[in-house]
Amino acid sequence: MSLYLLMFRQFVRTRICQLGLSMVLVLGIISIFIGKQFLDKQRATAAQVAETQQEHIKRNVDLHKDDLGLLLYYLKFAVVNDVSPLAGLSIGQKDINPSVQNVTILALEGQKYDADLVNPATLLFGNLDLSFLIVYVFPLLVIAFNYNLLSEEEEGGTWKMVSVMSVHRWRHLFTKMSVRAVLLFGVLIILFIIAAGILGIEYNLAFSKIILTSMLYIAFWFAIVAFIISLRRSSNFNAVALLFCWLIFLILIPAVLNNVIVNKYPMPEAFTTMIKQRDGYHEKWDTNKRETVEKFYKQYPQFSSYGFPSEASKLQWLWYYAMQNLGDVESKEESALLEAKVLKRDDVSQTWSMLVPSLHAQLIFNSLAGTGMENYLDFLNYTEQFHEKTRLYLYPKIFSYNKAEGVDWDRFKPEHVSFEAHITWSHLLLPFIGAIFLLVCATLISFRYFNS
Amino acid sequence: MLEAINLSKKYGEHQALKSLNLNVPAGETYCLLGQNGAGKTTTINLFLGLLKPSGGKTLINGVEVNMDKNTTNSMIAYIPEVVQLYGNLNGLENLEFFSRLSGHNHSKKWLVSLLSKAGLKEKHHTKKLSSYSKGMRQKVGVAIALSKNAQVIFMDEPTSGLDPQATAEFTAICKELVSEGKTIFMATHDIFNAVNVGSRIGIMKEGELIHSGKTLDLTAIELQDLYLKTI
Repeated sequence: MSLYLLMFRQFVRTRICQLGLSMVLVLGIISIFIGKQFLDKQRATAAQVAETQQEHIKRNVDLHKDDLGLLLYYLKFAVVNDVSPLAGLSIGQKDINPSVQNVTILALEGQKYDADLVNPATLLFGNLDLSFLIVYVFPLLVIAFNYNLLSEEEEGGTWKMVSVMSVHRWRHLFTKMSVRAVLLFGVLIILFIIAAGILGIEYNLAFSKIILTSMLYIAFWFAIVAFIISLRRSSNFNAVALLFCWLIFLILIPAVLNNVIVNKYPMPEAFTTMIKQRDGYHEKWDTNKRETVEKFYKQYPQFSSYGFPSEASKLQWLWYYAMQNLGDVESKEESALLEAKVLKRDDVSQTWSMLVPSLHAQLIFNSLAGTGMENYLDFLNYTEQFHEKTRLYLYPKIFSYNKAEGVDWDRFKPEHVSFEAHITWSHLLLPFIGAIFLLVCATLISFRYFNS
Repeated sequence: MLEAINLSKKYGEHQALKSLNLNVPAGETYCLLGQNGAGKTTTINLFLGLLKPSGGKTLINGVEVNMDKNTTNSMIAYIPEVVQLYGNLNGLENLEFFSRLSGHNHSKKWLVSLLSKAGLKEKHHTKKLSSYSKGMRQKVGVAIALSKNAQVIFMDEPTSGLDPQATAEFTAICKELVSEGKTIFMATHDIFNAVNVGSRIGIMKEGELIHSGKTLDLTAIELQDLYLKTI
């Protein structure tokens, strides 16, 4: 039997190994099923949307068939952000940011952020998805398996035997660590294979990148452990130091960073956009109708042939939809500022994550799974385009006082859209490789120093 | 075979070893006696290359330990007071582990024969290490030394805590090893065992070798008197 197999056998027989691997395997399978539950819910919602929209249009057309303006006051059109099966691995912000937008052709700003109510307790505890397990639990296992890699032998007396028997005692340590790494990476790969089967994930580039990110992230934790071991302190010291590292990388830094970002980039625009949009629309009730419609024609000169409503008339749909439209126009600046702030926050998080592998891993998982902030912003932008496209199609029909039957309602099927994450290899790899390289250098220096 | 030249070791301000000069020819059993803290274990650790000397040098078969540790390491084996082995492997697996670690690739049959030669009954070879007595562990330690085919075996109080029968068995093994041409360097408190197994003895006190000579002309009682006078 080779030395490697003997080391393997020796470690596999330990309680910590049996318990740790069983625990992570069970938790992993649970997390995959949590991901599946999430995907099923999302898919069921998307499937329901098509049916509901058809029914909704039919019912309202029957009710308001003679008044298209009134009908379109009520009608909602859906746009669906298709959820990738990878989202089952990393739910990210997808549980709070809606994947379906149901919008009327009235002012959009007030509708953009409509979302389902989410149980705050669920938000507090977060999702136990596979990415959570990889980011939070796997490092704990790396620590538990390795914290006493050398100190256990020094404290137990076997290290002296090893030192006398082996010419390459450091290679012995490396081999020991590699046994643990093989087991952990093995369990990780098994979990990904199970996840691919259960969640219906295709073996594509994004999935490969998620697997690679996970492996590099775990390798980063092995590098941290190697550095702490190289200090040649007691098992107790190593355990405390490594838990401290875990707290720093996974709790402290993300919390501090979040605090800094929230305070440095406050978003009063979230409120002012809403006020501006509402004012933009409501003030028009007391404004000269001609003035409102003139502003509208400035935006859309192609409709100027529809003329101006009389000041005496109570409600004219041209004027009403112009008012709604101007609500969006007048809040456009605030809306752009709000989006820029959200982007800035995301950008700062991305930049800082280059220095913090735990954050980097989380953000990469969310990006590749399409559950991150950039995916949501892409979806909001697409919703804007969809809204604009829909209203531009319907405006002439309203302004011409068409009846409902004059519109081809069959064309209004829910629109599906998906966005691909663009993560370059250098962006994915550099933070991990950089951190691992630095830690390996520090480890070698430390071993040399403590051995001299 | 073994040589210490002006060997000294300081731990901070404490001088653990003071200019030790020692020469052990091949095929001899050198027993180093002395109280706790006399410097016996420090001497062994310096020969093993686990410590760096503060002054002087150690040589094994003419090779300086600190200059070419790989070569000296290949010539030596070590049996501590309690042979610490891997608890999750049985005796045979531990032997295979350490044998492989030293770069040897013995057959299982050969390893079994080594354990038997070291005195470990075959029924214990594959038993859990937790069921091993101290004496049984020592035997695995001897088998490990044999598997490496070491020319020099360092032993640090190997009979401490062994019952008389286990001690007698261990002594017999040591004699057999010497008859095969091995050199044994043993630190011990056991004067009777030293006389029985040793061809030379050294008595250390406070880091200095006070007496060194052959054991041929000494009885255990005489050695005890000498030891008590010396320390």
